[in-house]
Amino acid sequence: MIKLNNISKIYEKNVVALDNVSLWFKEGELVVLKGVSGSGKSTILSLIAGLVKPTTGEVLVDEKKISKIPDHFVSQYRQKNIGFIFQKYNLISSLNVSENILLPLVPLNLKRSECKRRLESVLKQFSIEDKRDTLVKNLSGGEQQRTAIARASINSPKIILADEPTANLDEKLSLEFIKILKDLKSQNKTIIVATHDPLFFNLDFVDRTIEVNNGKIIS
Amino acid sequence: MTLIPEILAIYILDALFLFFATIAFILSLQIIKDWNFNATTKLQYSLEKKSYLGSTIIKYMFYVKLPLFLFFIFTLDKISFILPGAMCGAGVVNSNEYATVLLFLKLINIYLFAYWIVLDTQDMKQENQPYLKKKFMIFIPLYLLLVFEIALEYKTFSSINVKDVVDCCGAIFSTNDNTYLSKALSLPTWSLLGMFYINFILLVLSAVFKYRYIFATLNLLFILISLLSLVAFFGTYIYELPTHHCPFCMLQHEYNYIGYFLYGVLFIGTFNGLVVGFIRFNARELSKRLRVSLLFNFIYVAVVTLYPLIYYLRNGVWL
Repeated sequence: MIKLNNISKIYEKNVVALDNVSLWFKEGELVVLKGVSGSGKSTILSLIAGLVKPTTGEVLVDEKKISKIPDHFVSQYRQKNIGFIFQKYNLISSLNVSENILLPLVPLNLKRSECKRRLESVLKQFSIEDKRDTLVKNLSGGEQQRTAIARASINSPKIILADEPTANLDEKLSLEFIKILKDLKSQNKTIIVATHDPLFFNLDFVDRTIEVNNGKIIS
Repeated sequence: MTLIPEILAIYILDALFLFFATIAFILSLQIIKDWNFNATTKLQYSLEKKSYLGSTIIKYMFYVKLPLFLFFIFTLDKISFILPGAMCGAGVVNSNEYATVLLFLKLINIYLFAYWIVLDTQDMKQENQPYLKKKFMIFIPLYLLLVFEIALEYKTFSSINVKDVVDCCGAIFSTNDNTYLSKALSLPTWSLLGMFYINFILLVLSAVFKYRYIFATLNLLFILISLLSLVAFFGTYIYELPTHHCPFCMLQHEYNYIGYFLYGVLFIGTFNGLVVGFIRFNARELSKRLRVSLLFNFIYVAVVTLYPLIYYLRNGVWL
């Protein structure tokens, strides 16, 4: 269970991203956060991932106050619990697909065989086996997207956060991504998608849609 | 005032220390006043960020202070070349009333800063940062001591007059005077060595049985007894001169800078021993600290013991 209690987030120059917001997300739920750019959706994801701290209020994940713990503990929490899919994928262009996907495993010091096993599993799951040695800068948008999802999944996180995941994709690739989301949901992952893409608004497997506007929850 | 480049470098670093330490001091006061770990207010989140800044400043100050202490000793040695009568840093330390106090204050501050670093490390290992308020409270007197040290350092260097003739170490650490130091240096060798080795054996035993308070107390004693026995007995074998009782000359090139090694090893050994008396470590960390302390104290004991033994094997006589 993820809870945001009375969260406000004010960035520099007094930019109010969230204004006294309270939210909760149940385990295994797929929730779409919708709203225009600058409404505060991405800030909600960043707070859950522990990438930023609130100005006031608290974020709890499984009763753990992640907004209160020191930064190096937040990194450990993120490593174990969070898979983050960024709008621009944030892949390292000079590395190939396999190397990008393996990156989250580096700090874990796992055995080579275990890393390989996990890599093969996600390459297969997201249908990019044949691209494993290709530099990511040579991939199409959809392939980059799938690489980013594979990287977010390799740690088997309980929570998947996706920030405008289809902003750079055409409709066909966006529908492919939605299919992947459905698969992830069937694995009982908690998924929160921040988007203003209308494709997400009437999906039958989405549990809830929350509208955010001007840092407040509208519905 | 003597303004050689080394003293200027120390002054510049002192000014930087004062600037950054004052920032850490102000942050510490704010944290002590308003810290409440459970609060989710703007003030508390802001204090959490400030606590990182404060910790970072204090840590880096220590990381610079530690080698700077060696540089300070090196500077004292260098000044001795231009001070009439001085043969090593001892003559400089004895040239005015501030330097001895400064030297001891510097040593105390290094131990206190090192303690602060260990406390900070323990604090950062736990999610609820149980020592956070305590470590910033401890920094308050530490800051005042640091300011006192900087003032004393300025006073010490500005009071050195290269026209004054000063005593050399042979006169300062003479056993013929009626001072407490002379009396301490004149203690019978057997009693001094007895105290030294018994102290070390007791250290080993208290470590085996994990009596942490006893171990810390014995380490405090070990600092004093080690320094006394080094100056009164072991040093004479380093210099191969029975009348030479100087804690500074061994820092010079002629003696392969062995003093830096001995004092360094003694610091690491005794610091790790002292700190177990002040911080409640978990069993694993306690064992590690005890082992490190014993290892470095053992290296110290072994090296100083080798000097008279090698001398005896080479010459067939004791000094």
